[in-house]
Amino acid sequence: MTGVNVIEARGLKKDRVSSFLLKRSPILDDLSLTVREGETYGLLGPNGAGKTTTVKILVGLIKPDSGDALVLGQKAGEPEALKQIGFLPENPYFYSHLTGYEFLEFIGQLFALKKKELKERMAELLELVGMTADANQPMRKYSKGMLQRLGIAQSLINNPKVIFWDEPMSGLDPIGRRDVRKILERLKSEGKTIFFNSHLLPDVSDVCDRVGVLVKGKLVAEDSIKDIERGGGYKDLEEYFLTKVGG
Amino acid sequence: MVSSVINPVIAIAINTFRETVRDRVLYAFFVFACSITVLGILLGSLSVGQDIRIIEDLGLTVIAIIGGIISVFAGTNLVYKELERRTIYVIFTKPVSSWQFITGKYLGLVMCIFVVVLAMGVFLLGLIWMVDPTHHMQLHIGSIIASLALVFLELLFVLALATFFSTFSTPIMSVIFTLSLWFIGHLGGSLLDLSKMSSNPAAQQLLTALYWCLPDLAQLTRVRSVLMYGKEPSQEIIIFMLAYVFAFIFFLLGLASLVNERREFP
Repeated sequence: MTGVNVIEARGLKKDRVSSFLLKRSPILDDLSLTVREGETYGLLGPNGAGKTTTVKILVGLIKPDSGDALVLGQKAGEPEALKQIGFLPENPYFYSHLTGYEFLEFIGQLFALKKKELKERMAELLELVGMTADANQPMRKYSKGMLQRLGIAQSLINNPKVIFWDEPMSGLDPIGRRDVRKILERLKSEGKTIFFNSHLLPDVSDVCDRVGVLVKGKLVAEDSIKDIERGGGYKDLEEYFLTKVGG
Repeated sequence: MVSSVINPVIAIAINTFRETVRDRVLYAFFVFACSITVLGILLGSLSVGQDIRIIEDLGLTVIAIIGGIISVFAGTNLVYKELERRTIYVIFTKPVSSWQFITGKYLGLVMCIFVVVLAMGVFLLGLIWMVDPTHHMQLHIGSIIASLALVFLELLFVLALATFFSTFSTPIMSVIFTLSLWFIGHLGGSLLDLSKMSSNPAAQQLLTALYWCLPDLAQLTRVRSVLMYGKEPSQEIIIFMLAYVFAFIFFLLGLASLVNERREFP
């Protein structure tokens, strides 16, 4: 891990505007955080805290009402930043008419990868997520766990420097969760910067270097896992989390 | 450098084409269109010596209408489906710009419509060959291919309209807007006639301005009629029509890209 900031959010604000009365309610309220190169950062929070909105701002799917979001020194969503990131959305639903193989090929072509390079990368990633045998099945026949695995593979097709995963372990059985944890550990060992949201605190505790706790759009706490588990006076991450969210 | 611009467009086009041709509804439309075209044999047998003519006219009309329906429904669902299935998240977190997405989607549907028009055209020619006792296809093939090209040109325009509306409205509203403008496009000449007939200068100017803002597709139908009577339209008219339709398509796709560029995907 180096001291270079790879992900920076400065004073992010985002409101939800009701469609009828145009009433504004805050989703993110002055959110600032930084993630350093090679770090694995877990964003925790109860439902509706603004975790997914944060990730969507960082990958450029939505724009903040105010504040700055930078990824690898570029404004979030800029093509130069997008070339170097990988994103897994929450509950991924892909193209039911495609096979897993065709889908990965499609994603690789969006990055303009060369045929040979793409083929090798696809084989490597299908192996990594354990989908080689099912790659030629239509995606409409995939279980939720298989879609999640394929989602992980597509997020890594461009060998990204920064990885954004939104609830990567949601809907997975214990074996699937273990596999995702292993993939995260491998990516971590390769020096990737990883930013992910999760409700599954034991998994976060195993993989993350640092966590932030988001409550009603505000970052109420941010600590390293080491500090929480050793010197923070908390039994585990769950106790830390519940204390911070006031549960 | 060029490949990084073109490859995503081609990938999106191929994906859209695959998605559309793997949809069973398309085949239902195709079978329906072929069945109605076959009905032309029955209608033709009621006429005196005009059976081939009736099959040709009915077949081309069916191709135009069914092709139009497929274009409207596939085009208006273009962006909505991606949003509904949340597949748009995967596309716009990759280095893909709005114009590449819109162009790729449009080209994918263009490929699909081309295949549909081609398949229905081949079916129509086969039917004529079967019915014509002399089997002299050279008498029909030229005018039918030219008419099919005109139908395809019109469908390219309808697709661009549907694509544009799909970027900011729901599929139902997009269908209504597209069908309305397509219909108005065939009545554009009447606006000009009405402005000439009006004695009020303000109404004249308004109607003329409306005529120039709205698409005029009546020329395409006129040229198709000329072709079916075995005559050749002038080169100037063909060049004008091509320029007119393609200018509209570029304008609509440009607008669609701009609208999509400003969109957020919550």
